[in-house]
Amino acid sequence: MSQSVLEARNLGKTFGGLVALDKLDLAIETGKITAIIGPNGAGKTTLFNLIAGVYTPSTGEIRFEGMPVNRISAHGRAAMGIARSFQNVLLFGNMTVLENVMAGQHPRSSSGFLEGALSLPKAHREEETVSLKATKYLNLVGLGIYAQQEALSLPLGQQKLLGIARALATEPRVLLLDEPGAGLSTIEKRALGDLIHRVSEMGISVLLVEHDMPLVMGIAQWVIVLDSGKKIAEGTAAQIQKDQRVIAAYLGEDID
Amino acid sequence: MLRRAKGKWTYFLVAALLLFSILIPFDWFLGRYTSLVILIGISTMVTVGLCLLMGYTGQVSLGQAAFYGTGAYISAILSKTYGVNPWLAMLIAAAATGAFAYVIGYPTFRLRGNYLAMATLGLGVIMWILFRQLSQYTGGPDGMAGIPYLSVGGFTFNTPFRRYFLVWFFCLLVLLVSQNIVRSRVGRALRAIHGSEAAAESIGVNVTQFKVKIFVLSAVYASLAGSLFAHHLRHVSPQSFDFLASVKLVVMAVIGGLASVWGAVFGAATTRILSDELLLRFGELDVIVYGLILMLVMVFMPEGLFVKLKDVVAHWRLRYEQRGTKS
Repeated sequence: MSQSVLEARNLGKTFGGLVALDKLDLAIETGKITAIIGPNGAGKTTLFNLIAGVYTPSTGEIRFEGMPVNRISAHGRAAMGIARSFQNVLLFGNMTVLENVMAGQHPRSSSGFLEGALSLPKAHREEETVSLKATKYLNLVGLGIYAQQEALSLPLGQQKLLGIARALATEPRVLLLDEPGAGLSTIEKRALGDLIHRVSEMGISVLLVEHDMPLVMGIAQWVIVLDSGKKIAEGTAAQIQKDQRVIAAYLGEDID
Repeated sequence: MLRRAKGKWTYFLVAALLLFSILIPFDWFLGRYTSLVILIGISTMVTVGLCLLMGYTGQVSLGQAAFYGTGAYISAILSKTYGVNPWLAMLIAAAATGAFAYVIGYPTFRLRGNYLAMATLGLGVIMWILFRQLSQYTGGPDGMAGIPYLSVGGFTFNTPFRRYFLVWFFCLLVLLVSQNIVRSRVGRALRAIHGSEAAAESIGVNVTQFKVKIFVLSAVYASLAGSLFAHHLRHVSPQSFDFLASVKLVVMAVIGGLASVWGAVFGAATTRILSDELLLRFGELDVIVYGLILMLVMVFMPEGLFVKLKDVVAHWRLRYEQRGTKS
């Protein structure tokens, strides 16, 4: 019924005396690629962690497909269909590339201690499905040939793609990407942009926090600008680039 | 190439096991070492639990001897004082120890960071004091003697040689079950927690729940081992479950390579031989040796002595094979 995959109403977060987010209202449209931009300290990462369930809001609420998720834990939200990548990637260094993606299938499989301990046929069948699906996601991000390598042996660019594959393996309806372009070369950024487009075409809504303006302007269909914990503008990339308040926020000018 | 070398290693291991099991039926083969090998089996069971907890999940327990002791004492008290069937006593001990670990683990794991090490350290000391002070039930510092043997039908495990099979049956069962868990979806979730808790949460792993469950499982293993220990020696006393016992268990797990279930056998054997045969004459100075082993292994081979040895063997095999193909 709702057009928004994610909604925030009166959302606020304070850390001690510091107001990181202040009475924020926003709606992320289903099926689109939305970018959140803003100068350092604007509250982007805070917003991100609130949506992912790492922080609990001080005020207001978040809804996912119309359902309030304030009281749902991070792992519970992953199971509901909210997946995320990390700015510092956070791959599982004790696993191979393929196992990292297989781990992402956790909420879509169910074998527990008993099935595992007794090595029941159900567990085996499930492992096969999990492995097949993981290979599919690995191929989607173009890392299929590295399946058996140690995850951390990949260069940073590919590690970031692997992080996205792992998130996709949870079969989400919205994918949150935390600065996916940071530390990547121009070529790698182009590959990343293509991948985000493909993810979007799969019907997954994408929300990214990003510093890299060319990347954002190239792929985002909707841009939300935060500054000092408040939303100061939103619109298409073209509209945002002309917005006086945005320019002021970035250049530190006074517009009054 | 490496895969092939690994396969060779497996053949070697299987051959060694076969040879060993052919020799086993002869009492003279084990001789006076029967008791040592039994104790190695019992220690292995506890160590496997520690490997799952420390090596796979990344949670440190410095009080595993508390669960080992709880299992031993519950078995001893129920079967001797109250005349409960030893098998039933063993089951009750495992269930009670598991429930106890749950009660300890649940609040501890809800805290962020590695509070488990501190909590279990305290638990180990408290349980040791309880074993000594509740003399009405436990026989105090002297412990309790005259615990009955286990028996199946009319067959009583009343010789060390018989108990050897009993203990290693349970030990292999524990190893097998653990190996299966490690290779399953649950094993992957546990390793994910070790890799990064935040990332594990982000892919839907209930981190707290999995930590508690694996902690409970490790406690149940320790309790089973404790019960077997009680019915093997027929005597339990607090010294077997003091802080040093917990430290030795950690040493076993570390030598075995924390992330290797079968390494636990190696770790338990090495440490048992050290503590029961080689270091006896040094009295309490043996603590220094354990400390040294822990430091050296952690610094020079964090993946464990067992895994390191495996790598070295694989490396030499590889070189040997390459030389063979060149000439």
